[in-house]
Amino acid sequence: MKNLKIIFLFFLLIISPMRIFSQTIITTKHNLSISSSGTIKATSESEICIFCHSPHKSSPRSPLWNKNIPGTNYILYKSSTFDAVQGQPDGSSMLCLSCHDGTIALGEIASRPFPIEMTGQLAGKSSLTTDLSNDHPVSFVYDALLATTDGQLKTPPLPNMELDKNSKLQCTSCHDPHKDIYSNFLVTTNEFSNLCFVCHDRTYWDNSTHKTSLNTWNGTGDNPWSHLESAYLNVSQNGCENCHDTHNAKGNKRLLKALTEEDNCLDCHNGNVALKNVQADITKTYRHDVYGYTNIHDPTEDVLSNTKHVECQDCHNPHASNKTTNSAPYLKGYNKGVNGINQSGNIVNPAMFEYEMCYKCHSDSFWTPVSAFPRLINENNTRLEFDISNPSFHPVVGARNNSEVSANLIYPNTISTILYCSDCHASNNSNVSGPHGSIYPYILKNQYLTDDYTVESPTAYQLCYSCHNRNNIINDNNTFPEHKKHIVKEDSPCSACHDPHGISSMQGSSFNNSNLINFRTDIVFPSSSGLLKFEDTGVRSGRCYLTCHGEDHNPESY
Amino acid sequence: MKAKKIIITLTMSVLMFSYGFGQTIAGSAHDFSQETWNPNGEICQVCHTPHGAVIGLVAPLWNHEVSTATYQLYTNLISPSFDGITTQPDGSSKLCLSCHDGTVPLDNFGGATGGSEFITGNELIGTNLTTEHPISFIYDAALATTDGGLFDPTTQTSGLGGTIDGDMLLAQKLQCSSCHDVHNGSGVGNLLIKSNAGSALCLTCHNM
Repeated sequence: MKNLKIIFLFFLLIISPMRIFSQTIITTKHNLSISSSGTIKATSESEICIFCHSPHKSSPRSPLWNKNIPGTNYILYKSSTFDAVQGQPDGSSMLCLSCHDGTIALGEIASRPFPIEMTGQLAGKSSLTTDLSNDHPVSFVYDALLATTDGQLKTPPLPNMELDKNSKLQCTSCHDPHKDIYSNFLVTTNEFSNLCFVCHDRTYWDNSTHKTSLNTWNGTGDNPWSHLESAYLNVSQNGCENCHDTHNAKGNKRLLKALTEEDNCLDCHNGNVALKNVQADITKTYRHDVYGYTNIHDPTEDVLSNTKHVECQDCHNPHASNKTTNSAPYLKGYNKGVNGINQSGNIVNPAMFEYEMCYKCHSDSFWTPVSAFPRLINENNTRLEFDISNPSFHPVVGARNNSEVSANLIYPNTISTILYCSDCHASNNSNVSGPHGSIYPYILKNQYLTDDYTVESPTAYQLCYSCHNRNNIINDNNTFPEHKKHIVKEDSPCSACHDPHGISSMQGSSFNNSNLINFRTDIVFPSSSGLLKFEDTGVRSGRCYLTCHGEDHNPESY
Repeated sequence: MKAKKIIITLTMSVLMFSYGFGQTIAGSAHDFSQETWNPNGEICQVCHTPHGAVIGLVAPLWNHEVSTATYQLYTNLISPSFDGITTQPDGSSKLCLSCHDGTVPLDNFGGATGGSEFITGNELIGTNLTTEHPISFIYDAALATTDGGLFDPTTQTSGLGGTIDGDMLLAQKLQCSSCHDVHNGSGVGNLLIKSNAGSALCLTCHNM
């Protein structure tokens, strides 16, 4: 029999060298007797069961429990997305806590008048303390009602999932204190987070890159899996635990491995696990400053009334995100599963179009960032700026269908092209798409100089020239016939006359605001007769009332 | 009288030798010959008599008043993980409890009823058996299968020469005598049938 056991253990060790398997309590850390191979053990006591069980004079707790129950009030797990009714730990979890909360000495047992003398003490994840706010919740009823309320839990009864007689989830739902076959006394393997997914039913997860990625840590920088006592080699295997920690999680809400939101992401998305280095982009001068906010974002927040912040999770759903490509305006795989505000101003979850995600902060929010420049018509709400009923707009929500501009569009752009916000707002010089950070203001992908008296060049307005043919524009071909005079000879920036997002139909008109005309009032001033306006009088024809660079147009027609 | 004692002692010694230890009850915790409430000074008489034993018991020439207590049982209401079915204590466990439940005086033996000496301290089990290892339940291969954490008693060796079923159970039932040898046959402390060093006795049945 002993030989068989040795052969079995040897076999298990061979098939998974990462793990220490143990099918009998004798070889586990829960053997606290002197024969233990662990560091926490008795100095002379040889009995193993006695540390938890006694055949006689046990405590009233079953099964024949031999420890007193801590009279402690525990700090409980709390999270806005946790829907169960939770009380103080009870049932078998109390038995575990009678050692693991650290309030009762390991050798102090009910059946003996004197404690068993021990060496070593609980450390790391074994030492839960009485603060359970950073541990997976226990002792709550897990029933069909909870599954329905939560929406991301499977409906019990579940195969391989033990609840106690009161339908409560307890420590023993995940751990078998007598057997350590799968490490950490787990009842089944948690490779690919199999154990987590016995209960958790994450929408989108099956197609998520976090589920499928075989990437490994390249050994550079901080180990992204240092929170795990026995991490697997790749992202797919670590599953939920890439970001989450079931015990003593530093970011206690939602049991994230780090308290600071972005630290849960950027220790992989820095080129050391994920191939692309998002961290390099998000530390550039102009950025979505995820570092600037901590503990404000909440998955249940009302995007219309929340406090100003930005976190990775505002634009990325780590349970859903993948590399699926899409065409504008449809949301890319990177942003799959995030919520947004639609063109009508209503919350949508999930968002369907990329701009809906951007509208969360850049439309109706009371702290929506203000426009870059003062203009004749001021509008901070990009949702209103991009509406397709507007007199003019960049085609983000729908195609522009403006034939006047068609001759100057660079292939493959046409008048039916639809753009992503992230076609202009993106990291510069990066293989990472998306507006993480740029050396250019407004997180623009390419240079777009806005100072008055900017010397025109291919690079000065590289952003505009990536779609609009520079040669045609500065030579007045098929365009406003005075472009050369204004931007080459007078060194006026594009932004002096053009408001790139669009002009809301509620504020402007096609007579005054075609072709994204909305003068900057810090460069363009009223004419000698006090007028400041543009009037569209037909194809490439119009007149302006203004004063600029000392020139009085009162009006000037073309 | 002395000859009788010798014969009994001799007989028991022979029995003990079959366990390979050769310990005797004399000097053990069950040797009451020096107790004031046992004025005859006999060892066996507190429990057994060669003549005029209690009638109606399946017990070896029982000489002690038997408890009539009703016990609170260890059931799956106490421990949901317990899959056995306990009945009110029966068989030899009933005999043990006739002293250890504390309801019958120790000195109510040989027909005496007016005793006043009761068991105390660690040896007093009482009538609440919910904090005691369950007894008087059938432990068979089916229970081992249902439970999943127990060895099959019909095949698993006891370490005493045969199987658990053969060496430790009585009519398939687990009783006090499954763990304890009241006559101190093994000489192990707490009158255990074998040493519990390394929890070896527990792990004889419990597959942990």
